[in-house]
Amino acid sequence: MGLFDVYLPVAGLHFNVLVLLAIGFSVGVLGGFFGVGGAWVVTPALNIFGFPMAYAIGTDLAHIFGKSIVATAKHGKMGNVDVRMGLVSIVGSVLGVEAGAQMIMLLGKHRLDEDVVRYVYMVLLFGLGAYMLYDYCTKDKRQKKIEAAAALPIEPKKSWLRDLPPMVTFPVSGVRVSLWTVLGVFFLTGLLSGFLGVGGGFIRMPALIYLIGCPTAVAVGTDLFSVVFTGAYGCFTYALKGRVEIIAALWMLVGAAVGAQIGVTAVKYIHGYGIRLLFAIMVLLAGSSVALKQTGYTTLAAYMVMASALAMCAVIMIQLGRGFVKEKSTKQSAPAANS
Amino acid sequence: MWKLRSGLAVAILVAVPALVTATEGLDVPEALEKTVSLDGLTGISFFFARAYNENAWLYAVYCAGTMGLVGVLIAVVTDVILKAIGMEVHKIEHRE
Repeated sequence: MGLFDVYLPVAGLHFNVLVLLAIGFSVGVLGGFFGVGGAWVVTPALNIFGFPMAYAIGTDLAHIFGKSIVATAKHGKMGNVDVRMGLVSIVGSVLGVEAGAQMIMLLGKHRLDEDVVRYVYMVLLFGLGAYMLYDYCTKDKRQKKIEAAAALPIEPKKSWLRDLPPMVTFPVSGVRVSLWTVLGVFFLTGLLSGFLGVGGGFIRMPALIYLIGCPTAVAVGTDLFSVVFTGAYGCFTYALKGRVEIIAALWMLVGAAVGAQIGVTAVKYIHGYGIRLLFAIMVLLAGSSVALKQTGYTTLAAYMVMASALAMCAVIMIQLGRGFVKEKSTKQSAPAANS
Repeated sequence: MWKLRSGLAVAILVAVPALVTATEGLDVPEALEKTVSLDGLTGISFFFARAYNENAWLYAVYCAGTMGLVGVLIAVVTDVILKAIGMEVHKIEHRE
């Protein structure tokens, strides 16, 4: 057993603590910087490093739960949480997570969970990466449209589903919407969480803004608030099924807590679209590493997923350092110029 | 107030799996059958592994409780550090 190895009794694995900290740290930096949880890196990474798929999902959900409390506490203080909507979301989220978890258990019984989840991850990561590349390549075309639309408030999309009774009012968000729409959005994202071990924010956020009509800041806070319950229930139900390796989740949470502070601070210093291109490449590399694992190249897959995540973090941290030094020198030179 | 509501909601959440399994509609595969070896384990590894072996419900409560507790702890510590370096967060007005 190596110097940094710990024995994870529930998963029955010897695991390097530095890898767990690095996974947590990378996800924390990326999540803090890009505003998405980044949990979609954790499940594939844990699986690549030897966790059985159900354990990877359960452990990821446990770590999401702890991490979301940290993020929600901040947004709660800023008044960004629609608590009423968050509480209504619990019903849909819990049912969705349980449905997803039961699907994993069912697939596990037939020994299909590893393959099916990996293929779903490949579709998700390659799709997301391709979309982000497209987004990057077409940014100039969209710039005029964005500028024209910036002055206008975001209107939710009109549909019969949005007006289906019973209607519920959410004063913090200033919207009145069908209960079914709210439950549907949270059920589907809960299903995704329970099935893939992700927070689901990358789908819930646009749904809250464009389908339900939440202001963007409230959507971010309410999304995180909802993730607390999704993560809590996901952690609980997967633990009940014996699929949470709590020691690993704790190590990752420590790494994520440190990483998230760096990621959030970096937002202040790093501007421009270039960083999104790198992010898209990282997502595609994460998808490629899942494909490599599926085809039996486990070692290469492990190096690829960790190298791409840590390289992305390094870019963010270097830019953060440069921005900080630049700001400091500007502040120092300003009084000198005035005097 | 929202913290109180959140606490109540978490308490309700913890009760949901009991209601689900009480109906016998959904099974809890392997969790009640598999045990892990406690040989050579100490500290929290021993604590969690023993809970895992003895009672799946207890293990689930410990897992959710520990992650929640550590999350709150980190949130509080982070808050103190941010206040100390002058990055205190305030309630903000929402505009679109």
